[in-house]
Amino acid sequence: MQTRIHFIEELSRLNHDILAMGTRVEEALRRAVEALKTQNVELAKEVKASDEVINALQLKIEDQAAVLIATQQPVARDLRELVTVFKVADNLERAGDHAVHLAKAAIKLSGEPPFRQIDRLARMAELECGMVRGAVEAYLNQDAQAARRVAAVDDEVDAEHKQVVREVLELMKERPEQVERASRLLNSSGYLERLGDHMTNICEAVVFLVEGSHVELNE
Amino acid sequence: MALNGNSSAPPKFDVDGLDLYYGQTQALKKVTMKVAPNSITALIGPSGCGKSTFLRVLDRMNDLIDNVRIEGKVLYEGTDIFGEVDVIDLRKKIGMVFQKPNPFPMSVFDNVAYGPRVHGMRARSAAERRALAELVDRSLVNAALFEEVKDRLHKSALGLSGGQQQRLCIARVLAVEPDVLLMDEPTSALDPISTSKIETLLDELKSRYTIVIVTHNMQQAGRVSDNTGFFLHGELVEYASTKEIFFNPKDERTENYISGRFG
Repeated sequence: MQTRIHFIEELSRLNHDILAMGTRVEEALRRAVEALKTQNVELAKEVKASDEVINALQLKIEDQAAVLIATQQPVARDLRELVTVFKVADNLERAGDHAVHLAKAAIKLSGEPPFRQIDRLARMAELECGMVRGAVEAYLNQDAQAARRVAAVDDEVDAEHKQVVREVLELMKERPEQVERASRLLNSSGYLERLGDHMTNICEAVVFLVEGSHVELNE
Repeated sequence: MALNGNSSAPPKFDVDGLDLYYGQTQALKKVTMKVAPNSITALIGPSGCGKSTFLRVLDRMNDLIDNVRIEGKVLYEGTDIFGEVDVIDLRKKIGMVFQKPNPFPMSVFDNVAYGPRVHGMRARSAAERRALAELVDRSLVNAALFEEVKDRLHKSALGLSGGQQQRLCIARVLAVEPDVLLMDEPTSALDPISTSKIETLLDELKSRYTIVIVTHNMQQAGRVSDNTGFFLHGELVEYASTKEIFFNPKDERTENYISGRFG
């Protein structure tokens, strides 16, 4: 059937863009944390600039998906897939914004001796790079089990975040003169924590796509 | 299997284990389906799947075909329609609208008055004439056609557009004050605007009638119906709320059909 072939081709083009978007978000996150660790202001600025590409990809993906809905009138799993596309693109875009926030914090925190908690942030970012990749792959493979595994990683991220909060609050009490900088660190940990939530949202959307029911993967 | 509609009210139709044969060919296989009152049920499926045959069972139109053998139970308001039932009376309660508008070659008024006259309504006295005229007007209003034809009630119905003719056919059915409307692809010969008018009309008619509609237009089934039944090779493969059928069907054959994966 001619129309079906067209639909499948368009969908695969769209999924190609989602893969590209996921790759860019992962890269932005990796580079933002690298900038934070190494106090590399130039690298942080690059991350900020690269967000435009991510935003443009989101709009392109959503436009393509809207056109497919309008012209192909998909139903059932096809429709759930396109609804999921919007959620995936939206959450990836938000994740990209958090990478930018992290890059901005890297710029502000540069020039003075780094906090040792940055190693924990790097550990969180490492876990989340895996989550970004895993969530996008789970979507592309329509694999609900993989989505559940990826979402489970968020517990580790949350545990790290809580530990950072504890340590930074201690530090603030001990060294009140550091409160301003330490609060940036606290925020950075918060960005990373939320980034994980966005990946969990994608995983929930994947389960919805595959199984047709809404689940809460982040208790 | 979740269905829309009033599930506590007794079903308008209760079909159980219905088999239908045209000679040696089995056209319906063990169809079981309850139709809720004041609901719109869409029947979908590829050509030859049995959906129109099923529709015709409901008002015993298949009686007109030779060699038809029917087994199983079809209850209309709790009464076996193949039992001691006056078929004329049954068809008065259960009206049918067909794919192609088929107005009679007479005036708009006479088209709508035809059914009531056949069923014995007289127009000899002034009072009787008024009653008939009111019934015709009311039927045209309820079919959302009155405003368009009120100045030409006594001109030929054949001069109406396709969409108007189809609404005239609906008015003609409404004039005998039925309880159920069966529709066999009522908009497949119409343009989108006429189709939209009929779909809006269906929604209005639902509060007073039970509607069963056969359609090849999947989007139409999605737009107008509360429940959808998918037929394939004479089997009712899946019957559920329209929302469920179009968003999350349980049977892979349903999914394949509505997504255009057949053929």
